[in-house]
Amino acid sequence: MKRTVAVLSVLVLVVVSVFSVFLATRHPVSEATNAPSPLLGKMAPPLAGDELGGGRFDLAAERGKVVVVNFWASWCGPCKTEAPELSTFAWSHRNLGVVTLGVVFNDTVDSARAFARLYGSLYPSIVDPGGVIANSYGVTSPPTTYVIDRHGRVAVTLLGPTNAAQLAAVVARVTS
Amino acid sequence: MTLTWLGRVGLYVALAGSLAGLVDQFIALRAHRRSTSPRWALVALLGIVASVAVMQYALITHDFSLAYVAQNNATFTPLLYSITGMWSALEGSLLLWTLLLSGLIVAVTRYYRRRNDDEVVGWATGVLFVVSAFFTTLMVGPADPFLHNPSPVLQGAGPNALLQDNPLVAMHPPLLYAGFVGFTVPFAFAIAMLITGRVQDRWPLEQRRWTVLSWGVLSVGIVLGAWWSYQVLGWGGFWGWDPVENAALLPWLTGTAYIHSVIVQDRRGLFRVWNISLAIATFALTVLGTFFTRSGVLQSVHSFSSSTLGPLLIGFFLFVVLVGVGLLAWRGDRLRSAVGVDHPLSKEGLFVINNVIFVGFAVVVLLGTVFPLLYEAVNGGQVTVGTPYFASVAAPMSVLLLALMALAPLAGWRTLDRKVLWNRLRVSAWVALLVVVALAASGVRRPTVLLAYFLATAAAGSALRTLRGAFVSANRRGQSWRSALRGPSTGGMVTHIGIVVLALGIVTSTAYATRAEVTLATGQSTVVAGQYITFEGFSSVRSALLSATQLRVRVGGRELLPAVTTYNGRSGQSVGTPAIDSNALRDVYLTFDAVGGNGATSGAQVQGNLPAGSVVLGVTVEPLISWLWIGGLLVGAGAALSFLRRSHRDEVAP
Amino acid sequence: MRVLRSFALWAGALVVALVLILATAPGAATDQTRIAHLESLVKCPSCENISVAQSNATSAVAVRNEITQRVHAGESDNSILTSLESTYGTSVLLSPSTSGLGTLLWLVPVLLLLVLILSLWRLSRRR
Repeated sequence: MKRTVAVLSVLVLVVVSVFSVFLATRHPVSEATNAPSPLLGKMAPPLAGDELGGGRFDLAAERGKVVVVNFWASWCGPCKTEAPELSTFAWSHRNLGVVTLGVVFNDTVDSARAFARLYGSLYPSIVDPGGVIANSYGVTSPPTTYVIDRHGRVAVTLLGPTNAAQLAAVVARVTS
Repeated sequence: MTLTWLGRVGLYVALAGSLAGLVDQFIALRAHRRSTSPRWALVALLGIVASVAVMQYALITHDFSLAYVAQNNATFTPLLYSITGMWSALEGSLLLWTLLLSGLIVAVTRYYRRRNDDEVVGWATGVLFVVSAFFTTLMVGPADPFLHNPSPVLQGAGPNALLQDNPLVAMHPPLLYAGFVGFTVPFAFAIAMLITGRVQDRWPLEQRRWTVLSWGVLSVGIVLGAWWSYQVLGWGGFWGWDPVENAALLPWLTGTAYIHSVIVQDRRGLFRVWNISLAIATFALTVLGTFFTRSGVLQSVHSFSSSTLGPLLIGFFLFVVLVGVGLLAWRGDRLRSAVGVDHPLSKEGLFVINNVIFVGFAVVVLLGTVFPLLYEAVNGGQVTVGTPYFASVAAPMSVLLLALMALAPLAGWRTLDRKVLWNRLRVSAWVALLVVVALAASGVRRPTVLLAYFLATAAAGSALRTLRGAFVSANRRGQSWRSALRGPSTGGMVTHIGIVVLALGIVTSTAYATRAEVTLATGQSTVVAGQYITFEGFSSVRSALLSATQLRVRVGGRELLPAVTTYNGRSGQSVGTPAIDSNALRDVYLTFDAVGGNGATSGAQVQGNLPAGSVVLGVTVEPLISWLWIGGLLVGAGAALSFLRRSHRDEVAP
Repeated sequence: MRVLRSFALWAGALVVALVLILATAPGAATDQTRIAHLESLVKCPSCENISVAQSNATSAVAVRNEITQRVHAGESDNSILTSLESTYGTSVLLSPSTSGLGTLLWLVPVLLLLVLILSLWRLSRRR
């Protein structure tokens, strides 16, 4: 009985240390919700524009590949956690017939470029002057991701920040 | 760039003040002399005040050269929401926290300035400076509120729609943070007492009224948070057992255990080491709470998002626990009191039960909150631990607590005298029985509800009886009843009554809420749970800040305007704005769920199969839910009364 | 162990009241109550942390309809919850199943209850 406090304290210490290490090694949640969009199953609206790093992108030219389109903005908080995940996904799937593309949503070119530079984007992003593309896809708030299948149809809509694992799972289902 | 520099300089000064204070205190301790801590505390405070002033200036003048302002403010953001924008997001919330903490440290160092050659005061001050240095370092490092916006923008994103929807945003976070910050002091002194071995000292008892005040502020902060959620989130609920909500509840639970067991320490010198442990636990849980809110590891409607702060905050949590529990392991056994609790149903015994319940429930809430992480690590899948789990543990716990509230104020110290206790309980027991019979006769049949009312009546009875005793003895001493209301024992009884009212509000509104979705054409009426509801038409609001489509609905004579509101700003979020008709008996809670036809109404869902001009209205009728807010007010009032000193030195025995 | 007469009187009245209340209590779980109960156990798939009973989102309405259909068809609570789980994923249940890791969620409160009883017992032994 004399050493009750000491014994209990050591026990608590061990439990809390394990607990803390466990929590410290968790990753922030960034799982997007699969949203029911009116575009699902329909042909994806035209998507073409100038890339931030120069060059031009046209969805029509990518028929036959799975295209993951992510609408983002530099002022969007969750986009910050999502950006490295998208890069990871883009890189790991670059030779697997999957194209990853970002579309800048409601932002200035300079802010977008700074953001892309800061988060080291490994995939191209195009600008969307006048928000025409965003409008045709029905994007109301970033981040929103569309997965377009090989035939050019919108297969999946993801609302909210996604992550590499979720994208990989979703794309695997689309390609099967 | 100027604002960035000015803001950062303020933070550097604040950090310098904390560090200098820490060093000075350390030297003073070694040299056994008084420190100049009040001066350094003031320097730290001035630094943080300057930074806060810079941030407020930037927010109010909509200066988008600061990235934080660009993300949380717009040119048309009203003044109130510009000011509250400071704590709308992560970096700014740390500014608020550190401001409150620095202010507290100035107050504490000033209060003890004549005693700061005392070792305990010295160590406690050192601990306080360590904590403030930590939070300031977070802002100097990864969570910089004054980050310069690299590309100039003409317009900011504006605050999150849900954070500019309701003025409670100005009250909930400051009160909540003030409550948390307040518990840093018992923690600091607990550490100091362990290090110096002076556990018999009366510091926790001297500081009792300040601790109760912090607790009261925290309680009101939590209730206001629930009220705010209720008013804006649209589902008629006020508590979702969401990880961030739980994070705020955990220190409140251990804090409540603490303020009760300190009463026993005051009266009989018991539980000294236990109280020190509770003080350490409460502060540690506060740090853990900031981790859950700011690390993003748990999904929540309320959380800020960041991935860099997580490891730092959990690291600080681990540090706090290592130091605190390590000291306990080293010193604890030597410092236990010789006497113990004599009878399980004596007042001391009942307080032991109280503590086991509160701390036990905190363990369960913590387990439920982190369980999804545990599950994912072990099984790889996702689970949700939500209301059904927490409620099934909270319900029996609440029953026990209500029973305790009925017994403890009337119980005697050291012994249980059955006759005396029953004599004191008799009236409340009969009234409680009559209440149950009356309720059952009028149709209330759910056992949980009947049990809750039974025990709540008994608990209220005990509180009222104690208050009456206080008034009677004040009368005998020739004092007014108003002066009798002041002081910890009577204040505590007022708080208990507040808890009873709150509990009844929760039980009744949860058990008897009626939820319905009605489709109404213009001019059509319906009845939901006895409430007559008429849809009168549409109306719209456009301003620089927002555009909203409102429904004009008449409920029992009053006009309500549930709406869908779109806040301008680059995020352009649409949120549902519920409308509530409140009175002491019931709330009618309306939401604008959908509109028929192909009319282009901003944000609202358009349902093709409904005739144009008709709407789908969500109606929730909740009886007695306003008792929650009234109860919360009483809880705060009781804590405030506890804080006020009596002119007379003596206290009525609790 | 002298029991006061006034306490006996009150305790007797309590027992009588309880018997009367229980005797005239409503019957066993109807379809309605089962539906309401199940709805409180299932999370709205597109919301954060609220049940389908509390949300009017399209996905919540869909789940509510499904629950109602299945209850009327006579399915057991367990089979309804299991099939919802297979459609929407394990995270759609607001209270994890009690098997496997989930036993921890129930074990810990029970253990704490034992701690409470134990501490009471130790206190009474001191006398």
